Amino acid sequence: MGGGTNPAAREPMNKENINPDDARLGALLREASRTAGPELPPRFQEGVWRRIEEAAAPVKAPGGIAWLDALAALVLRPRLALATAAVLMVAGAMLGVRDGNQMAHQDAQARYLAAVAPNSLH
Amino acid sequence: MNRSLVILLGALALCAALLGGSYAVSRRVCQSCMSKSVSDLDWLRQEFHLSDAEMVHIQKLHEGYLPKCADMCAKIAAKKSELETALTSTTNVNPEARQKLAELAALRAQCQAQMLQHFTEVSQTMPPEQGRRYLAEMQRLTLGLHEQTESSMSGSAGHEHHH
Repeated sequence: MGGGTNPAAREPMNKENINPDDARLGALLREASRTAGPELPPRFQEGVWRRIEEAAAPVKAPGGIAWLDALAALVLRPRLALATAAVLMVAGAMLGVRDGNQMAHQDAQARYLAAVAPNSLH
Repeated sequence: MNRSLVILLGALALCAALLGGSYAVSRRVCQSCMSKSVSDLDWLRQEFHLSDAEMVHIQKLHEGYLPKCADMCAKIAAKKSELETALTSTTNVNPEARQKLAELAALRAQCQAQMLQHFTEVSQTMPPEQGRRYLAEMQRLTLGLHEQTESSMSGSAGHEHHH
C-alpha cells in the first residue's frame, strides 16, 4: 500500500539490460505523476512499466510447453471435464455390458456341457 | 514438476479410473443378472433361438438322458479305480492292467456313443439349420478336446515317435 507502487514493476525484468533510459523514464514518470496529479489514472506508473515489460518479453516458442499449458487449461474447463467423464462412463458401461453378456453366455454353455458331457471336460 | 503436466497426468488417471470402474461394475452386474437364470438348458434357448415347444421337448430328452449319463460316469469312475489298483500293485503294465485299460476305453466309447446319440436326438427337435449347427458345435466341444490333445501330442517338437 505504501506509495501505491509496486517496486517490482518499477524495475526492468532483466537487470542486465538496464540502460540509462530506464532511469530517465522512471524520473519522468515520477515527475508526471507529481505534476499531473489527479488527471493521471490510478497506478499509472505501474501500468506503464507493465506494458513495457510485456512488450519486451520474449515470445514463447510455439514448440515449447505452451501447448501443455493450453491443454491443461482446456482440461480444467468444467463443462468439458463433465462431458468427458460422462462419455467415458457410458463407454465403460457399454463395454462392460457387452463383455458381461459374453461371459454369462460362456458360463451357460459350460453349465450345459458339464451336464451332458462331464467326461469330455477331463 | 510442471503444474500443467501434473494436471494432465491427473486427468488421464481420472479418465482411466472412470472408464475402468464403470466397465468393471457394469460387467459384474450384467454377468450376475444373466447368471440368475440357472437352468442347464438356458444356453440352448439363447444360442439356437428355440421356441417354448421345442424347449419342452428338449427338456424331456435331457431329463431322460441325465440318469444314463450319470450311470455311465459311475461305471467309468469304478473302472478307473480298478485300473489304478491294478497299476499300483506292480511296476509293469501287466495283463490285468491291459485288460482294465481296454475295458475303460470300451466304456468311454460307449459313453461317447450314447452322448452323440443324445445330441442327435436333441438336434432333430430343432429347426434343421439350428440342428446342424448344434450337432457340429457339440461334436467340436466334446470330441474336439480329445482331437486337440492327440494332435498336440503327435505334432509337438521333441516328442517324436521312433518306430
